[in-house]
This record gives sequence, C-alpha cells and structure tokens, in this order.
Amino acid sequence: MIRQIIYREILENLLSLRFSLSLLLAISLFAAAGFVFAAKYRQESQDYWKDTNENLSSLSEQTNRLCDVARYQQTVYRKPKSLALCTEGFEKYFPNSFRFNVFSMYIPQVRRQGNFDLGRFSDIDLGFITSLILSFIALIFTYDTICGEKEAGTLRLMLASSIHRHKILLGKYIGVMLTLGIPLLLGLLVNLLIVISSRDVIISSGDWLKIFTIILLSLLFLSIFVLLGMFVSSRTAHSANSMVILLLVWVGLVILIPSFGRIISDAACESPTQAELQRRLAEVDKQNLDDAASGKFGKNAGSFGSNIVENPPGTARLVNARTEARNQVYEDHLNKMMAPLIFGRYYTRFSPTVLYQCASEAIAGTGITRFKSLYQQVKRYQQDLKEYVRGKDAEDPESLHLLCDHGQAISKWGVISKKPVSFDSVPKFQEQDLALGQSLKLAIWDIGLLVLFNLVFFAASFVSFLRYDVR
Amino acid sequence: MVWNIAKKEFLLNLMTFKFAVGTIVCVVLITVFMPILVGDYQQRLKDYNENVAANEAELRKVKVYKNITPTVYRPPNVLSVFSEGLEKQLSKSAKVELGGVPEISMASGVSNPFLSAFPTLDVMLIVKVVMSILALLVAYDTISGERERGTLRLVLANRTARHEVLLGKLLAGLVTLIIPVTSAFIIGLLILQFFPMVSLAGADWIRIGLIYLASLIFISAMYNIGLLFSCLMSRSSISLVLGLFIWVVFVVVIPNGSVYLANYLRPTESREKMAAQVKALMQERNNKIDDLTKTLRTGGSQAGAFGAFGNYFILMCEKPLMDDYRKKYTLSEPVRIKYADKIFELQQQYLDRLIKQKYLAHTIAQISPVTLYESLMSALTGTDLANFEHFRNRVKLHTDEAIEYIRSKTESFSSPAYFTPGKEADHLAMVKEMDRIEKTHADKFFEEVKKWYDQKLEQTPSLSLRDLPQFICGPESLASTLSRSISRVMLLLFINALFFTLSFVAFLKYDVR
Repeated sequence: MIRQIIYREILENLLSLRFSLSLLLAISLFAAAGFVFAAKYRQESQDYWKDTNENLSSLSEQTNRLCDVARYQQTVYRKPKSLALCTEGFEKYFPNSFRFNVFSMYIPQVRRQGNFDLGRFSDIDLGFITSLILSFIALIFTYDTICGEKEAGTLRLMLASSIHRHKILLGKYIGVMLTLGIPLLLGLLVNLLIVISSRDVIISSGDWLKIFTIILLSLLFLSIFVLLGMFVSSRTAHSANSMVILLLVWVGLVILIPSFGRIISDAACESPTQAELQRRLAEVDKQNLDDAASGKFGKNAGSFGSNIVENPPGTARLVNARTEARNQVYEDHLNKMMAPLIFGRYYTRFSPTVLYQCASEAIAGTGITRFKSLYQQVKRYQQDLKEYVRGKDAEDPESLHLLCDHGQAISKWGVISKKPVSFDSVPKFQEQDLALGQSLKLAIWDIGLLVLFNLVFFAASFVSFLRYDVR
Repeated sequence: MVWNIAKKEFLLNLMTFKFAVGTIVCVVLITVFMPILVGDYQQRLKDYNENVAANEAELRKVKVYKNITPTVYRPPNVLSVFSEGLEKQLSKSAKVELGGVPEISMASGVSNPFLSAFPTLDVMLIVKVVMSILALLVAYDTISGERERGTLRLVLANRTARHEVLLGKLLAGLVTLIIPVTSAFIIGLLILQFFPMVSLAGADWIRIGLIYLASLIFISAMYNIGLLFSCLMSRSSISLVLGLFIWVVFVVVIPNGSVYLANYLRPTESREKMAAQVKALMQERNNKIDDLTKTLRTGGSQAGAFGAFGNYFILMCEKPLMDDYRKKYTLSEPVRIKYADKIFELQQQYLDRLIKQKYLAHTIAQISPVTLYESLMSALTGTDLANFEHFRNRVKLHTDEAIEYIRSKTESFSSPAYFTPGKEADHLAMVKEMDRIEKTHADKFFEEVKKWYDQKLEQTPSLSLRDLPQFICGPESLASTLSRSISRVMLLLFINALFFTLSFVAFLKYDVR
C-alpha cells in the first residue's frame, strides 16, 4: 500500500507546475555555476602556480648558504580546490598567503583580493543552491501535503479505507524526498559534466567519495525542511495559512539566523586591530630588552663591539626569546581574528542552515576548517624545515650551531652554517587534504544535530497527523 | 466604486492570518534588531570620538611643520543601521601627509577578513525579505482567489468596470502594506531616538523620509508582481507558487548571481598589480630626490628626537648642515607633492575600474527590484562607494590645504621651522654643554646628555596650529545623492507601472468562471 502512495505522490508532483519550475531553476543555476566555477578555477590555478613557482625559485636562489635558507621568508599560497564546487565557504575573503621563515610565522594575508566594492556575495555552488533554493522548494512541495488534501477532500477518502495514518505520512515523505532528489541530482550532474568537460578541474576518487557524502548531507538537510513542511501542514487547516507560517520560518532559519552570527560575535568577542598588534609587539620587544639588561640571557648578550667580551650563546638565547615571544603575539592575534567567526557560527547552530554549511565545509575541506588546517600544516612544515636546517648545520664544523634569526650574529660569528646545500634536499611544502574519515570526525556534531532535527520534526509531524481532523 | 472595492478589500485583508503574522513579525524583528544595530553604531561613534581626540592631543605636541601628519577619521554614518552597505568594509581613516595618498580599500589588517563570512544585518534586510514576502502573500489571491470563491463573478455582474476592480485592489493592497512598513519605521525611529548618542540632523530626517518612500515604492512593486500572477492564473495556489519562485529568484539568486557573473565577465586586475605600480612610482620619486640632493650633506653635528605622531625631527644642528637641510627640503618637497598627485591619479583609475565592474553587476541585476532597492538604499543612506570616494576626495583636498598651510608658514619649505625648532645658538649651547659634561661627569656621560636633551625638548615650544585648516567631512550633499538615486527611483516606478499594466491586460482577458 505504501508503495502505491509513494507512486501516486511522485506522479502528482512530477506533473505539477512547481516541479517543472524547480527543475528549470535548479538546472539553470547549476549549469551557470559550472561554467563560472571552471573559469574561476582556471584563473586561480594560474595565479597559484605563478606565485608558488616564484616562491620556489627564490628559495632555490638561497641554497648557496644554509643560513640564507633558514632566514629566507617563504610564502605559501592557498591552492584552489576542486571540491570548492560543492561549497566555497567564503574562502575568497579569507587570508590566502602565509609568510614565514624557519624562525617566525607572520599573520596570513589576503592576496589577490577581489573587488571590495561589490559587497559580500555567495558563490553559486551546491551549498548555496541547496541551502537557499532547494530548501525553499522543499517547503513549496510540502506546504499542502496534508491540509491541501483535506481541502480537496481526498484525505477523507484515503483514510476511509484501511490504511494506517503513519503509512500515509511515510509514503508522502518518501515521495517528496524522491521528487526533490531529481532537481538536486540532475542539476549536480549537469554541473559536474560542465566542470569536468572544461578539463581544468580534476576530481580524484577520494573527491568523488566526498561529493557523494555531501550529496547525502544535502538530502539530510532537505529532509528537515520536508518534515517541517509536513509538520506545519498537519497543524493547519488551510494550505494558505500553512504557507504563510512556513515562509516566515524559512526566512528565520535560512536568512535571519545566519545573519545573527555577526551580531553575536560582535557582542562577545572584539576583533583585534592592527594598532593593538603593533602595541603588543612593542611591549614584547621592550620586555625582551629589559630581560637582556637584567642579564637574563647572560653577560653582554646582544652586544657587539671590539672593547667587550662577546657572548654568542647569550645573543642566540636573546634573539630566540624575542622571536618566540613575537610568534606568540602573532598567533594570538590570528586566533583572536578567527574567534568571532567560530563563536558566531557556534551560537547560530540552532539553524539547520548553519549546521549544513559547517558540515559541508568540513567535508569538502573549504572555509574556516581548511584555513585552520592549512595554517597548522604550514607551521608543521616550518618545524620540518627547522629540523632540516639543524641537521645540515650539525654537519658543518665551522658553525657555532646556534640557530637564531640575527643577521649580524651570522655574518660575524657564523652561528649558522654558511655552506651550500642542494635545493633538492630542502623540504618543500605540500598541502595534505584530510581523509574522509577525519573530515567526518570534524563534522560529526553537526551531522548529529541535523539527524536530531530530522527526528524531532518527524516525531512532531507524526503526532500532529495522528490527531489531525480530516473533515 | 473604486473606493468601495478598496475599502472592502482592505477590511478583508486586515482580518487575514497572513497580515497579522506578517505585521507582528516585522514589528518584533525591528524591536529586536534596532537596539543591536544602534548599539553597534554607538560603539563605532565612541571609537571615532576617541580617535579624533587622540589625534587632536597629538597635534598639540607638534614642534616642527614637517611633523604635521595627522590622521583624519571618517565619521560613522548613523543611517548605516538602515543599510550597512560598505560602511564597515572600507577604511575608516586616512593619514594626511605631504607625499602621501589616502588608502583606498580595506587594507588587510584594518578590518577582520574572517567576518566577511557572516551575512550583513540591517533594517533593509527586514524590508527586503519579510515585507516583500508579505506583499506577495497579500497579492497572490486578490483575483484568482476571488474567482475560486465565486465572488468575482458577482462583482463583475454589476456595472463595475474591470479597471475599477483592479484599481481598487491595488489601492487596498497598498494601504494594507503601508501599515506594517509604517509601524516598523515608527518603532525603529522611536528606538533610535531613545539612544543618547544618536543625533539626527535635518538632512538625516530628509534621508529617512526618502528611505521610507523608497521602501514603499519597492513594496508596491512586489505587490504588483503578485497581482500580475494573480491575474494570469486561474488558481490561487498556482499564482502563489509562481510568485514565490519569482521572489526567490529576485531576492536570492539575482543579487548573488549578478555579482558572481560580473566577476567572471569583467575580472579586475589585482590590487597587488596596482600596489606594484605605486611602489615603482615611489622608487622613481626617491631616485629623483636622491639625484637632486646628492651634493648636500646629511651628516654632521646634530641632535634629534621623536615628536608628535611618532615622527623624528632634528632638535638642533650646526649651521652648515641646517643650510643643506633647507636646500634639501626646498628641492625635495615639491617632487613629493607631485608624485603624490600621480599616485592618487593611479589609484583613481583602479577605483574607476572597480566601479565599472560594480556597474556591470548592477546592470545585470537591474531586472530584480530587490537589487535596485538595495543600491537605492545604500545611496540614500550614504554607505555606497560614491560616498567613500567623496571622503577620499575630501581627504585629498584637506591634504592639499594642509600642505598649502605649511608652505605659507615655511616660505615654501625653505625656513628652518619646517624641520627644526632649534636655532644656531642652541647648537652652540649644545656643544658647550657637551664639553662641560665630558669634563665633569665623564663616567655618566650618556645619562647626563640624555637628561640635558630631555630638558631641552621640554623647553621647546609646540607650534601654534590654531589656523591649521580643520578636516570636516559631512556626508555627501543631498542634491548629489538625489541625482544619483533618481534613475533608480524611476526604474522602480517603471517596474510598478509595467507590472500593473501587464496585470491590467491580463485581467481584461481574465475568465471569471
């Protein structure tokens, strides 16, 4: 019996105007998104390789002396990601270049920033289409599932035969989900075909698995709206009223609550300013100088001259203490910059849209999670490079083996080896994507909450429908 | 007859569930949003006042004309609570200095890039989203709903002409929609008045009035769109679905999609390229100055200190060195001024390209009344790029004025007052003092010298800068705002007229059975 209900529901939906409209809208959006994404990806890849090659060739020029390799300020750029076609996660606004040398890591900067005049906008990608368009379509499909049939009088007829109410509800749910899957899957298929045929974007097998996961996630997200629609539909007697309520709920969940994030974060955390950063750096430097004056690093640390006894180990301690303290200041500043975003996102999680956004960003490896992981990876690479320099330095008997970022100490005393190294042996940065399992682990709470939303709305619609007055 | 129909329709609308819910939601949202938004504005205003005060205090410490490098701040815009626009994205301050140009975008670090991941929140969002939905909901069943109920037949069976029916419906719908818009505005303004730091000038009230009018025109455009679908379809549920699809395209797809497309169709060159050009110009300037002044000495017996705005200046120096400095500044400062103008020109070209891209996005988006309304609002509230350009030009003007002031005070940079407060006698006193200290306190030489310097620095009087031109940057004049917004208002009115005409044509052919 349930099969018949599903079948009927699907047929009815397929023939409706709303289905053809949503199919048209979804496919045209996905197709446009495909073309724009391919072009954008090509441009970004060109920029990325140009910048990266520039960086590597400058690094190779430094290999005549090991100390230059250690002190050279490399810049690592964010690589364009093919999975950004699923969800871009506002990466275009985030810092995308990381400058560092073996000793220090600076604040990541935004390079090749777009037109700030255009204001904030979302890229049209799977995440955008699902969270803003398809969720809306889900409501349009379901606002009259129960009360519409009541108005048409068919609900009475159906319940007059020996079908259980839960079967009707389940049948309708499955029917709507299947019809809703058509614009999503067909659109995405068109999108992927366009992107792949452009030959710029290569999607690996791991990526395919992630895309599949994101599709499942999208369906999970859409199912919340389907259940919400059925719930409201079985609470109201008129489909017009049901539509009004659903629209306002949709506006709240999809448009208003995500905007609250800014307000919440503004109230809770303060964005650090550049002036504050400079002030803290100056403080740290002063502290360092005071420590040096009080003899914390040894006698004559940091002093050069012919009439005093120089103290290379002391100077190295002094310089390293300062570098360390400054690094800490930079990292604190960056964390403070990210804090509002993380905080605002955290407290708007009662909206399924935010949950879906966070989860799909985590799985696709874009957005703020990507930024954090990239930053950690660059730091790890920095440590690797330091170990490499330390190892090479140990081989040189002329060096004092005191790694520190101080030009005069290097040129005068040779605290780091000045021997050439081969460029091939210098480690190079390579960004590692998280495996699906790890990204799922990051998103597990979001997914759990999405499932919870589903269960709550299912239970609610079930109870309401059981008590529904079909007259 | 029109009035009768309008009255009936209006009373019917008032009793509906959608009207009640929509109005309550609008009012609640505005009561929740407004205090948050105004609180945010107050915070920005406080920061601004603090910054200006700090700048004034620093200006009082200036001892030489060369060091007049104040920072001017862009006052926060109170109307940004209505439409945020670019208010928070663009740089809030600019340094006024000889040879410098105002920064043109949010320089990285000035504002937090991570915050861009949040959508903006302002009063316009409520009008744009909630009220436009309400307009569609009120409109969707005006004709098709009456047909379904069978009342349309009865109405047309009388002598009432069809255009009267439609006009009555339009009037009733507009009056119905004015209620939530007006109550939201009144409540919002009451809350705004409640905050002590907010003061609205006369021009602000005019702007608020215009914002209110623009909102009404926009809402009426959305109503007319709903009316058209109601006249096109025989079933109200279908006209609702169609209307909602159009709504989602207007509100969600076109505003994002047009920008996305404009980025793709007309990519702008990166800021880095422009920055590199600026850097090259700076290099060229420095080379030129080096060439001009290479015969002049910069070393010699002198003493310097850090003064106002963290700038270094020469406290005193020997006579020949002073003469060389005078020659140097007379030669170099005109070059720096000339190159500052060149850089300003270059940045202006870059800005123009950005505006062209924006214009393209705007042209693509003009099919949606929502984007039209958005750009109209940011123009009226003074948060769009044109207003930022206005600020930038004011800064440039102020810089020119300040330079002119310095020039007049220092005989075209040739007077010693430009770079040092010290006279020749001061230097002689210094030499004498050094000799004395070296003889008497040879063991504590540096401490003693430092003490003497500090004392000398304290004794040096600050410049009296009462007649230094003040930086005043009000918002752009109302007239130029109006001249920019008039075309958009016209377009919105045209959309109104177009959709009403279309609905009229559709209704004339409408099958009332």
